[in-house]
Amino acid sequence: MAWGGWLAAVVVAVTAAAAVRAGRLRRLALAGLALVPVAVSSLVVNTLLPAGGRGFTTAVGALVVLLGATLPPTLLFATTPAADLLDDLEARGLGRRAVFVLGAALAAVPRAQARAADVIEAQRARGLDTEGSWRRRACGVLPLVAPLVIGSLAEVEDRTLALEARAFGAPGRRTVLRRLPDSRGQRLARWALAGLLGLGLVARVAALAMGR
Amino acid sequence: MIVLERAAYRYAGAGSWALPPTSLALRSGEVVGVRGANESGKTTLCLVASGLAPAAIGGELRGRVLVDGRPTVDMAPHELAQRSGVLFDNPAVQLTGLHRRVYEEVAFGPRNLGLPAAEVHRRTGEALGLLGLEHLAGRDPGRLSGGESQLVALAGLLALRPGHLVLDEPTSRLDAERSALVEEAVARVAASGAAVLIAEHDEALLARLCGRVVSL
Repeated sequence: MAWGGWLAAVVVAVTAAAAVRAGRLRRLALAGLALVPVAVSSLVVNTLLPAGGRGFTTAVGALVVLLGATLPPTLLFATTPAADLLDDLEARGLGRRAVFVLGAALAAVPRAQARAADVIEAQRARGLDTEGSWRRRACGVLPLVAPLVIGSLAEVEDRTLALEARAFGAPGRRTVLRRLPDSRGQRLARWALAGLLGLGLVARVAALAMGR
Repeated sequence: MIVLERAAYRYAGAGSWALPPTSLALRSGEVVGVRGANESGKTTLCLVASGLAPAAIGGELRGRVLVDGRPTVDMAPHELAQRSGVLFDNPAVQLTGLHRRVYEEVAFGPRNLGLPAAEVHRRTGEALGLLGLEHLAGRDPGRLSGGESQLVALAGLLALRPGHLVLDEPTSRLDAERSALVEEAVARVAASGAAVLIAEHDEALLARLCGRVVSL
């Protein structure tokens, strides 16, 4: 396995340890299980197919890198409420528009799920059959998609009005109402991680420059 | 003071005028009601009187709309929000959907103004208290009833302390007890010198609250 794979393995191990400490190991394991189809296909491509296969070690290395990339953000959002994250970013100087875009992106999935549930209920009330055979379900998709998409577009305009009516575009910094606790240990850990990230980038660029 | 001088408005992309040429003047401290059938242009009048149309939603405005002597088309939306605050008929439009507690939702406007934290807390507490919403402060705004959402939206507007108020059917989802709270709040705001425009179907409420009522 390449050095990048070992680095990813360390990231996975540290993430798992943090998940155990936070009591979120089950959530992390579920996120890892979601990668099973990718792992299986990687194994098949690299070990069974005659063309392009690079072997078992490469397949495992790719999977570990994937885990290293997906598990830390999963743990972050499993342990940190989005509102806390946004408040803290704003307290650290992130602009109001950037905070809004980030907040809207984080809220987009649950909001879309809620709207989809409303649309399904409304269409069922009008007699749309959303259960039964796959053919019936497939036929039921189109009447659901159109209101969902149009509703999402209309919500953008509504949201814009809501923000403008509440002076969102006012100049200057917004008031910060709460500052989250930030211990010395957390600050040290952040600087250490940032340093490791920098070192990793330098090592990668150096490896590329040397043609490896 | 809010003045409409033959103000007519057409939504972006629309062929017809949603608001025909309308003249209206609201003096400071005056509460004026607007009645009219569905589709008569009450909501459009509210958007125009608040300046959000066309400042925030585009479209074409003819005639003039003045708030405290200044044309609304010359003001930025955040400035309009402080001079002529608007409550939409659908509270879902008014709430930002960004906050997990009612308190934060109500504090959103004052925070946007960059006021000192103590002043934000004071305004938020007063707005919640004025409408009897203290018990909702910790609730998720996305899980409120229609009536509660309407009151929270109004609290968010009052926390901004706009110079004047434009209210589009502010009691449409409220029972009699809560409607009385809104009436009391509106009367108090008007007594402080604000002009208030209320579009409403409830004739009895208009009769109780408004010095005069115009029809569209």
